[in-house]
Amino acid sequence: MKRNRKGLALAIGAVLLALSCAPKAPEVYASPEYPTWARTTRTVLDYPIPGHMNRLRIPRMNALGFTATPLADGDRQRWDFPEDTVIVKEVYASAKPAAGERPVQLTIMAKDPKDPRAQGGWLWITKDLPDGKETVFTGNFCITCHANANEKHPYADKNLKEEFRDYVFFVPGRDNGRPASASGASPGATASEYGGVP
Amino acid sequence: MAGQSPRRTRLAIKVNLILVVTLAVGVGLILAAFAANLIASRDQITRRFLKQEANDLYTSIENFMIPGEAPLAVKFFAQVQAVNPGSRILLFRQNGNFAFSDNTTISRVNTNLGTAKFRPREGIVTTVSMPSKPGFAQAAATPPAERFFREDEGGRSYFRAYRPLINLPKCTVCHGSDHTVRGVIDIRSDITDEARGQTIILAGAGAGFFLVVSLLAFVIGAFLRRVVIGPVNTIGLVCSGVAAGRFEGRVATRSDDEIGDLARTVNTMVEGLEERFKLTKYVSAGTLGALRAGEEPKRVTRTLLFTDVRGFTSYTEGHPPERVVEVLNALLDSQARIIHENGGDIDKFVGDEIVSYFQDEDASLRACRSAVAIARFCAGHGVESDGLSVGMGIASGSVILGMVGSARRADYTVIGDAVNVASRLCSLAKAGQVVVDSGAKSEAGPGLSFKGPFGAKLKGKEKPREVWILLTSTDDDAQGNFKGGKP
Ligand code: HEC
Repeated sequence: MKRNRKGLALAIGAVLLALSCAPKAPEVYASPEYPTWARTTRTVLDYPIPGHMNRLRIPRMNALGFTATPLADGDRQRWDFPEDTVIVKEVYASAKPAAGERPVQLTIMAKDPKDPRAQGGWLWITKDLPDGKETVFTGNFCITCHANANEKHPYADKNLKEEFRDYVFFVPGRDNGRPASASGASPGATASEYGGVP
Repeated sequence: MAGQSPRRTRLAIKVNLILVVTLAVGVGLILAAFAANLIASRDQITRRFLKQEANDLYTSIENFMIPGEAPLAVKFFAQVQAVNPGSRILLFRQNGNFAFSDNTTISRVNTNLGTAKFRPREGIVTTVSMPSKPGFAQAAATPPAERFFREDEGGRSYFRAYRPLINLPKCTVCHGSDHTVRGVIDIRSDITDEARGQTIILAGAGAGFFLVVSLLAFVIGAFLRRVVIGPVNTIGLVCSGVAAGRFEGRVATRSDDEIGDLARTVNTMVEGLEERFKLTKYVSAGTLGALRAGEEPKRVTRTLLFTDVRGFTSYTEGHPPERVVEVLNALLDSQARIIHENGGDIDKFVGDEIVSYFQDEDASLRACRSAVAIARFCAGHGVESDGLSVGMGIASGSVILGMVGSARRADYTVIGDAVNVASRLCSLAKAGQVVVDSGAKSEAGPGLSFKGPFGAKLKGKEKPREVWILLTSTDDDAQGNFKGGKP
């Protein structure tokens, strides 16, 4: 009897130990609600860019991200997205996916400066769909390219004034891109889908 | 002493082994950890510098490229190399071809821009074979991975970095958007001297380690030998000496530690043992045997030999006491030696008298032989003994052996009729004469010559006892007649 109790205690101890040592469940950055998040641009992103070619991309951001406003930093405008801002960019298989077609990949930026893996304050994540794992990039691949968002670049309003845009190419309100195309199954964002000030 | 040396060697070897192993493991681990740390941090520093260098170059190249000054980049690489001959910077296209080696990039840029902005160059700038290192493919893949590695080539050591050059949005204007990685910057830094220095440091540390360990082992070993092993060995030697009956050994020690205490205790013990051993001279073998076997009295058969110096009382009066003691001791000592040689046991010395007994086979024969030897000794050493001689009595029979005396002082001794008879026969014997009772005579066997029988009147006995005179030399007359009675 006594021995049994000892065994039980041991078993419980072992389970507790195993639990405390088990890796923490990975955080899910692409929240299941992300499809309801507003888009960061009205532009149809179906033109070629390095890495994705001309496959359709739709970037969305959680509501928190839309609270960011540029502040003056000397004579430079500076954007700083609040912590816990998440931007999810859907990447489709082609430039013109069929109606109801699901994206094949998500690339994600999650603002979490305290995370040791963060670069430029962001976690850089990719997720292959439908069931791929989220992979946090620790190399400087993503940020090297995204550093270009803080200087002149060929997209959105081209950032001609070289604002500090917190490594984000499409910041709301700086979108003077092409209007939504009327035809095709992948239109640009409608006024209600777009989260920025029109 | 030679027999002891293996033990000393064994202990010394053990101690040295423990020392060397402990030191080697202890100091070795620390040193190894230290060396590993040193190397790791040196490597880390080199890597960090190399990474920094790669980043700086990356930025430089980026800035050369934007205004379309690729040739400047080539010049820049050459200059960096000239300033720092240990370094080499190369730029490869994603496909592994050396950048600037032909005009493909220029014509593509011109196509993308829709103008002939850049003039194709004449001739090839450099030819460098495509990097064969496996890391290159990863550095040029999408997503690319930076590669840092060490390589040895032609007797020199290098740190090498493959830093992917990404097709940034701003680059796409000229270079197009159909690729993610533009190329790979290959930076190689000569670290031969550092590596050599490291080897020297490691070798030095190893040699130092070896030296320190041997020195420490030697010093501590010598110290231990002096303080522990040496004294312990000496104690061992003294003890084995004692076991072999040698009591003169002492452990010389001046230390006041536990070993010193032990040494002093051993010395005291040996002194005590020596004292006791000397005392055994004064204790009969029978007493010792009885002490060993327990002190129960028992009835046994023994042959008693009594000797007594004739005319001793008057001799003592006519001589100085020193001479008396000297002569008596010499006489007693010689007799005792003869008795021992014949397997007899001295029961006690009573003044000038010796009480001894013989047991087991030939007891009477050996008693008689002792008597003959003593008589001959006295005859042959008359001058040294100032002419003194002894009379002897031998009788055999049943006696009681046991501890007799008080609780404080007891002797293991013989009592019984045979003792009394032998004593009486001794007192009847003239100088040089040996009187033997008929029992002992018949036990002694036919090998000895006796004269007799004579009748001896003994105290407390009605009938005279039949006794014999043992002939101690071939000269019969010298033995004279028996004063106790007529044959
Ligand atoms: C070669 C340049 C390049 C690289 C490398 C790159 N991106 Fe982007 N990224 C872009 C461009 C250009 C955009 C603008 C939207 C578009 O056209 O798709 C963008 C947009 C995004 C967005 C939407 C927010 C924004 O900036 O507008 C996210 C999220 C994103 N990228 C994540 C990533 C992640 C994660 C990685 C690394 C795995 C990565 N990117 C690597 C060029 C790059």
